[in-house]
Parts: sequence; structure tokens; C-alpha cells
Amino acid sequence: MTAAVLAVSPARPTLVRAVCVREWREALGNKLLVGMTLLPPVVILVAGIAAVAAAAVNPPSDRDVQALYAAAPAVAGLDPKEAVQGFIATYFLILFMLIPTVVPLTMAIYSVIGEKASRTLEPLLATPVGVGDLLFAKSLASTVPSVIVTWAAYGIYLATVISIGSRAAAQAVTAPRWILAIVVLVPLLTLLSVNLGILISTRVNDVRVAQQIGGLVVVPVVGLGIAQVTGRVVLDNGAFLEMTIVLIVLDLAVFWLARLAFQRENILVRWR
Amino acid sequence: MRSVVRTEKLTKRFGALTAVDGIDLEVHEGEVFGFLGPNGAGKTTTLRLLCALIAPTSGTAEIAGFKLGRDDSKIRAAVGILTEQPGLYERQSAWDNLVFYATLYGLPTPVARAQAERYLRLMGLWERRTEPVVTFSRGMKQKMAIARAALHEPRVLFLDEPTTGLDPDAAKTVREFIVALRGEGRTVFLCTHNLDEADRLCDRIAFFRHRVLRIAQPDDLRAELYGRATEIRLLPKPRAEDLVRVQAVPGVREAHLENGSIVVASADPLRTNPLLVKALVDGGAEIAFVTERRAHLEDVYLKIVEPIE
Repeated sequence: MTAAVLAVSPARPTLVRAVCVREWREALGNKLLVGMTLLPPVVILVAGIAAVAAAAVNPPSDRDVQALYAAAPAVAGLDPKEAVQGFIATYFLILFMLIPTVVPLTMAIYSVIGEKASRTLEPLLATPVGVGDLLFAKSLASTVPSVIVTWAAYGIYLATVISIGSRAAAQAVTAPRWILAIVVLVPLLTLLSVNLGILISTRVNDVRVAQQIGGLVVVPVVGLGIAQVTGRVVLDNGAFLEMTIVLIVLDLAVFWLARLAFQRENILVRWR
Repeated sequence: MRSVVRTEKLTKRFGALTAVDGIDLEVHEGEVFGFLGPNGAGKTTTLRLLCALIAPTSGTAEIAGFKLGRDDSKIRAAVGILTEQPGLYERQSAWDNLVFYATLYGLPTPVARAQAERYLRLMGLWERRTEPVVTFSRGMKQKMAIARAALHEPRVLFLDEPTTGLDPDAAKTVREFIVALRGEGRTVFLCTHNLDEADRLCDRIAFFRHRVLRIAQPDDLRAELYGRATEIRLLPKPRAEDLVRVQAVPGVREAHLENGSIVVASADPLRTNPLLVKALVDGGAEIAFVTERRAHLEDVYLKIVEPIE
């Protein structure tokens, strides 16, 4: 007599939940990964708060103020102390946009290279799960913590700047454009970074090499941020909308490329 | 007997290399089917094809009633595979590993938990279920991997070298598990280099090197290649006249003296052996043992697999 086969393809939400929980457990057990995940937001947060606090107690020199007015026309005309705080508060907001490019990249890279190294991919692929669903679940497992960490860091920064900073600083961090950027662009940037990390991980076996290649994703963000702070580019509502559309297109394109690379046969036969 | 694996001209090429060359296989329900061949023969590729992990270049296959290439997800649900490496999540506990896989096989949570418990107990790992797998010995990891492969009660279980590197105790547990699976009517497709194990466990054996060289029951292969030999030990030792008497018995093809015994090859030992005993006793010989002399499966393997090297 043959016993009944119990298996079926799992429902997508069940699969996503199972993969996320497993990946998070695995990540929490990896002290290096936890450290690398938390270090950038903590450093940016502490530095941002310290810089705003320092600007509140140390009045800038006339020369610094003139240079600031020239570099950042948005704060021209404000009281020097206010202007410096507003400038610093905005500058650190740009650094917050770096968190979703750095933090999930490491997680995503570990998620694929870790499985390659421990040879856990073959049993995983032997299940009735679709590889597209698996890739989606893996993307989400790296995206969710990164978005939460970025939002939490921003929340703390927001509250601290409002309580210790000047009116200009408070206005800078609560500008609807920036709130929208944090709410909308952070998840999009995170997804881009995650799928880029997965894509790179399909080709290399060394976490450090993958991080170095993936790290290039920060360059356009930094460039854009510097251009915005120095007044070379004005990020108005139209620009934010364009950036959002570009990021959505990039996200879809990179996910599609990652999906192409993430095929059962490729993984088992060609990945080394 | 129903077939659970049937292939027709199944072929897999990687560029210029033909790893699997037009194999025709038929594996029956409830049998332990041995798949033997040298390293690099294409055994793992065949396993991956039959588990719908990679696509064939040409040919067809039906596994557990599902067509390869059309019902791949259903095939993966209906089979279990033990890969060469255990591939467990080592930072996680034995329990978490099995429940995770049970979930991926679509088992509802209570069933997933019940199956995880069942297999952890079966493999003697229940007491260590909360410990991270990294603390387990190689044998324990291998048992965990077998439990993972069987957890969803597959109709066909593909086992790639299940006892390699295991101590005798762990290997025995694995072999007993395979026998128990056969008792439940499951099919086990066993890739192994352990010829003694294949001999003991397998109902039929396929010798393979990129293509199937031969499929048969181990005893039939031995008989076909080496005939069936009987070894007769006499007290105190055989005399020249005893050998002459034996050679005169109808049905005896060949007889010779070897290490104090008479070794007799005959076409039908069941018919010939009583005549041999009678002839020797009538001649005044004192018989200590009459045993069947079995060729080792290794000899059979070397005869079938090696010549094409």
C-alpha cells in the first residue's frame, strides 16, 4: 500500500512568510551581518543629531555663512545659526537616502551567496515552489528590515531635530517633499539595491567582491544629494516624480534581470 | 507492477558533453532501484532530470504519473531528493529546518509539525530538535537531510549516496529506513558507490555510464555472468577421487579444488546439489558444509562498467 503524498505548492503568502522568517532568523544569528546592517543608520543618525546640536550651540563665522549662502541658495537670507542648522539637517536627510542602498545590499548578498556556500539551494529548489516566488520572497526578506530601519532612523532624527533644532532645521526635516521621499523613494531604492545584490550574487562567490560591485549604487544617490544641497539641481515636486518613475522602471528591469539569472538549471549547473 | 518512473530516450547535453544519453528506464512502485556508475557518469544529472530540477535536451519522462516539462511542480511535490551535500541551515535548529521545508512542501502547520516530529523521532534526533544543526555530527546531518527528503511522504525518494561517510550505526539506521520505505510501498531510487549496500537493498540495479548499460536483479546478473557455484567443504579435506565423482555428476559444468573445498559450477544448482551430496556420501566422503558461492557485486560491476573505459 502506498501512503498518500502530502505535498502541494504552497500558497504565495505562506511561502513569503516562511522564507522571510527563516532569512531573518539566519540574519539575526550572524553577528557580522547584524552589525553591518545597523552600523550605517546608527552612524548617520548619531552624526546627524550631533551636527545639528553642535550648530545650535556654535555660531558660524561670517565667512562660513557667506560661503553657505552661496552654496545653498535655499537658506540665503535666514539667520546664520538657523541657516547652518537648516543646511545640516537637509544634508543629513540625503545621507538617510543612502541607508536603503547600503543596508539591504549586504543582506541580499548574504542571502544568495550564503546559500551558495552552504549548498542549501538545491534542496530549496527541489520543493514545488516557483523560482519567481522564491526570488520575490528573498527580495522582500531583505527589503522589509532595511525599510523599517531607515524609517525608524528617520523617525528618531525627525523627533530629535524638531526638539533641539531651530525652526529652519525643523522645517527642513518636515518638508513634505522629504517625507514623501522617505516614504516612497526609500522602498524603491531598497528594492533596487536588493535585486542588484541578488543579481551580482549570482555571478560572484565572495561577499566582499559583491559588496564592492553593489556599492556603486550609492554613487548616483550621493551625486544627486550633493548637487541638490549645493543648489546645482533643484529637487522640486516634478523632479521627485521623475525620480520615482525612473526608480520604478529600474526596479522592474533589475528584478527581471535577477529573475532571468535565478533559474533552477542556471543555479544548479552554472552557478559556482 | 505499476511504474512510477518511466523514461524514453531521455537525454541531457551540456554543450558538447552528453551527460545522459537517451536512457530508457522503468522503475516500479515499491521497489528499491539501484543506480550504479562511476564518478562523472551522469548519475546526479539523471537524478536532477527525474526530480524536474533541470530540463532534458530531448526525450520524455513520466514520474509519479506526471509528465516532465509539463507538470514539473507536481513532480517536485511527488518526489523527495537527498542531494550529495546535506545542505541544511546550520544556524537553525533541526526542528526549524524541518518545519520550514514542510511549509515549502505546502503542508498545513499542524501537519508540518506532526511530520517534523515523526521524522525527528524516526531518525533518533527528537531529543536534539532545538539544537542548531551546526552542532550535529555528519551522520546526524545526513539523517536530517533524509528526513527532509521524506517529510512530505513522496512516492519516489531519490537518494544520492545516502550512507557515504556515515559510521556503521548511522548507516544501519539509514538502510533500515530504506527497507521501511519499501515496506510502505514507496519507491527508492538509490545512487550509491557502496556495492555491498546496493546488493543488500536493491531489488533491481541499473549500471550506468551516460547511458544504461544493464538493468537486472543482482542475483540474476551474478548467475548470468559467473554461473551459480556451490562450495562443498569435506572433512578432513577433499581427495582427488572426490573431485572425479563430482565431475561425473550430470549437470556439472565445471569443478575444481580451492582452499580445501570443491567448487562446482552448474546450470541448475537446485537440481544438481542433491546429486552432488549423494555422490560424495556414496563415495565415503564426510561433508562439513554445502554453501552457495556468490560472486561479489563488485565483480559484476567491474565486468559491466569498466570495459568501455
